[in-house]
Amino acid sequence: MSTHVRPERGSGGPAGSGHGPPPRDPRDPRSVRTGDFPGAFPIGPAISFLRRFRGGLDSGNDLPAALAEAGSTLPRELRVALDRLLSRLAGDYQEDEWGFDEEFADALLPFLEFLYDRWWRVETIGARNVPSHGRALLVANHAGILPWDATMISVGMLREHPLPRYPRFLVLDWAFALPYVSVAMRKLGGVVASPYNALRLLEEDELVAVFPEGVKGAGKPFKERYRLQRFGRGGFVELALRTGAPIVPVSVVGSEEIYPKLGEAPALARLIGAPYFPLTPTFPLLGPLGVVPLPSRWRIEFGEPIDVARFGPEAAEDRSFVFELSEQVRETIQGKVYDNLVARGSAFL
Amino acid sequence: MGPRRVLITGVGSFLGTELARRLSADPEIDYLAGLDERPPRARLERMDFIEADIRNPVIAKLIPQAEVDTIVHNKIVRRPGPGMSDRSAHDINVIGSLQLLAACEKADTLRAIVVRGSAGVYGSEPAAPQFFTEEMARRYPLRTRFQRDVAEIENYFDTFSRRHPQVVCTMLRYQPSVGPSLDSQITRYLSQPIVPTYLGFDPRLQFVHEADAIDALVATIKNPVRGPVNVAAPGTIGLTRLVRLAGKPTLPLLPGVFPTLTDAGRRLGMEAISPDFRRLLRYGRAVDISRLVEEVGYMPRHSTVDAVEDYVLTQRGRRLVPVFREAVAR
Repeated sequence: MSTHVRPERGSGGPAGSGHGPPPRDPRDPRSVRTGDFPGAFPIGPAISFLRRFRGGLDSGNDLPAALAEAGSTLPRELRVALDRLLSRLAGDYQEDEWGFDEEFADALLPFLEFLYDRWWRVETIGARNVPSHGRALLVANHAGILPWDATMISVGMLREHPLPRYPRFLVLDWAFALPYVSVAMRKLGGVVASPYNALRLLEEDELVAVFPEGVKGAGKPFKERYRLQRFGRGGFVELALRTGAPIVPVSVVGSEEIYPKLGEAPALARLIGAPYFPLTPTFPLLGPLGVVPLPSRWRIEFGEPIDVARFGPEAAEDRSFVFELSEQVRETIQGKVYDNLVARGSAFL
Repeated sequence: MGPRRVLITGVGSFLGTELARRLSADPEIDYLAGLDERPPRARLERMDFIEADIRNPVIAKLIPQAEVDTIVHNKIVRRPGPGMSDRSAHDINVIGSLQLLAACEKADTLRAIVVRGSAGVYGSEPAAPQFFTEEMARRYPLRTRFQRDVAEIENYFDTFSRRHPQVVCTMLRYQPSVGPSLDSQITRYLSQPIVPTYLGFDPRLQFVHEADAIDALVATIKNPVRGPVNVAAPGTIGLTRLVRLAGKPTLPLLPGVFPTLTDAGRRLGMEAISPDFRRLLRYGRAVDISRLVEEVGYMPRHSTVDAVEDYVLTQRGRRLVPVFREAVAR
């Protein structure tokens, strides 16, 4: 670009070079074109920023001073967002001892809310059944290969509960050996599915979500949809009994249709060390596009909490009692899943 | 009755000297001896310095002569220093501990041994619980040489304490120490101009502040408990946040080529990255410290993030991010 100043172009206005008039008020409606399109790239402010920055350099300022000069032309919201981003780059953010990063989770929320509202049109019932504070164990049915159901339970909790809080998830340990996935999991509140982790989280009075079906649930074929698998060895009941945490049964409908699993490729699974390798109508046929989940309609119901504190921690030693309680929870969830299937009606419309 | 006569091995290291300084100022300690092949880093009037190599059988004569009731075993090499081969580090760790125990057999006055061991014995495992408790030491295969060394040392002391019930043996499992005056693998790693990391991994790390590392030793000398005890600061820090706080750019490397490239970098003057440190950078590690707090009775004063910030304050360097921040904040 040549050095002569072109007057009046776009929203950059006459503030062409550093010798121009003082920067305009960023709240001036003419300069905040982006207000109409939230999230769109702010072209106007970017141009005026660059012009002013260049002008600053031309008039002999050093780099930081020129940046500071130019920074004042940016609209306020953009400056706040940039400041937050830069302070994260300086390491100024919080992670708790588990690695949960609330700011990161909040930043991802708009995307998950889009899935919740528009993609899956989730209806959440009974969020008030989740205790507002103190320890509690959410026990849910599991489906859909990737743990989208966990994210939707989170959003449901955050949106519908009067005192929202992020649940912590027990995640299959395989995920923690994977690049990026492991980081995302821990930043969103996932921990390795180990009873030690669950006990510690409950003792810290957290809300913990478990999928006792585990891989058996997530990886079951489409024709067995909404039929709950065995609930492991009833470990979650032991945890609840030991810590006195109430069990909240959660039934999720809709997650079975997002990736209808038609078959498996065990050789490929062994090759990458995965628990299983799913074949769906779109995956791996469409490559990465096959990871886009189908837009089924969802319902999530939080059931009445089951108070297990009255049995005392020593009940955790009683095998048959643990199995019995585990089976009871499974049947409760199974029943609610059928109820919600009927209430939902058509799977996609 | 608290301890009166104490001997420290590895008194020539930073922590060994600092511990000796603390104990020589402690009125409860009547007598203090320090054993190492290199002299302590400061003049200590009240300490008898025994110049001997811990691998040399002669210590079996020297140690009983000191008539101590407590031995602090601090001669465990975590990172082979310049001019030290992996082999001699292994010898100091394993043969040194065996020679020390042979000397302890002959020391009738001995009542307690405090070993400054390492939480490296747990390894770094993606599928491990987020906080190791003391019982979880042998859940996974021992993968690196240092890990095997520590496990072996712990075995020797464990066997010794079972054969000599009058001697209380505490195995302190230390997370890496960090602090302004310490020179450790993690501080050397962070002081490089560019820091290699694993692409797509951001493990949780846990440290202990150098001051807490010494105070935890003092507390254990005064109140030794049997068996292993984890020593670490409360809380954890992600590797990415750690490197950002240190103000260093990262060089993310694909996991498959990380060992090759860092070994090549070592020849070009970068820091060596040992196999167990490599695993730490990929999968991280944190431990549970309730035994230290409840049984030994020591609560670390600095959290992991405090320890890192304390270290970062002493590092000078040009950092770009604050400059940009100032720009947008105006």
